[in-house]
Amino acid sequence: MSARIAVPVFPGTNSEGETVRLLRDCGGDAELVHWSRADTLHNYDAFVLPGGFAYEDRVRAGAIAAHDRAMDAVIEAAVRGKLVLGICNGAQILLEAGLVPGTGSLRRPTAAFTRNGPVPHFVCRHVYMKLRIAPARCAVTASLPEGAVVPAWAAHAEGRLAATPEHLREILGGDHLAFVYAHADGRVDEAAVPNGSAFGCAGLVNRMGNVLAIMPHPERDGRNFTHLDRCEGENVLAPSGGAVLFRSFVEALS
Amino acid sequence: MMRAVAISLKIPDNTAYTAAVALRRLGLDVEGIERSEIWFFDDGGDAAALLLRITSDETIFNPNKHRAAVLAAAAPREGEVWIEPLEPVTQALAKGEAAAIAWRLVGAHGASADRELLSAAVERLLCNPAIERPVY
Repeated sequence: MSARIAVPVFPGTNSEGETVRLLRDCGGDAELVHWSRADTLHNYDAFVLPGGFAYEDRVRAGAIAAHDRAMDAVIEAAVRGKLVLGICNGAQILLEAGLVPGTGSLRRPTAAFTRNGPVPHFVCRHVYMKLRIAPARCAVTASLPEGAVVPAWAAHAEGRLAATPEHLREILGGDHLAFVYAHADGRVDEAAVPNGSAFGCAGLVNRMGNVLAIMPHPERDGRNFTHLDRCEGENVLAPSGGAVLFRSFVEALS
Repeated sequence: MMRAVAISLKIPDNTAYTAAVALRRLGLDVEGIERSEIWFFDDGGDAAALLLRITSDETIFNPNKHRAAVLAAAAPREGEVWIEPLEPVTQALAKGEAAAIAWRLVGAHGASADRELLSAAVERLLCNPAIERPVY
């Protein structure tokens, strides 16, 4: 029996459709799970928290969802070593839940993906995320090559990694900086960073390596018709580009 | 003189309601919450004129949904905590944002929240210490 992946949906989530479809196209047995059915979440083997505006970003982005009953199950599963991937608002929820970088206590955040800088505007821009850790450091990235460059779309007003100097040092020292923004050829510089994120951070991993939080949306560059580098004549619906991360996630479950 | 101005909703505040529900779920005895944006302005020695200007400009104030008050002191009121960004306030003002969010908690039997309840609410939900700090 294949591993079951839950894609939890909170009020305000808006990327669940493309997330669950791409997981299925990459071979995953994925299902949407409404927040009101939180009691069923313990039946799943892995979790992908999709993007959106859970609970309308009330209080702070991800803050209310991090305390939702549905997150009780996700946190419990993460602590037991199950795989969890958070994308955009899903990543913000994981930081608010204290699961990543995981340098503090649960539900006591030590970092945030917060208001973009230096200009605090919403950014919608095609980006590339470069794997900065050894692939095996994180179960979700284990099937990617070293230094993999994953295409995605940044679509957020609050994606800048921020933390106190002490916690930023912990993020670097603990090898939590999983992805950084890069150019298509893998070069890393300030121009590739769309939001002023500390260290050019696009994604963080927890200590155990089973929880990954990424700000850009690889699922929005996950098929030929949304992938900038596609060749004419290819099947437009075929998974490509950002789908590599989803394939790697599914492979980690097999 | 620099004055603190509180802008709050007179229509139902969904964010405050959601925060109250979340805090109750966390086991805190919170009966209700009022939320305001705190802005700082120089009143030029005339607080009434400042209030009139804010309410007539309708830039940070919408008469259909907001109420505004110039606070007697630039500090949290009874039962209230302000959550302000760690980055300097001047930077927040330059971005056109409020300097802080005021959360006024009502505890059991309608009593103003004491410091213990405020601290618990801050630590459990209202403040992310990576980017914010509480002012009691």
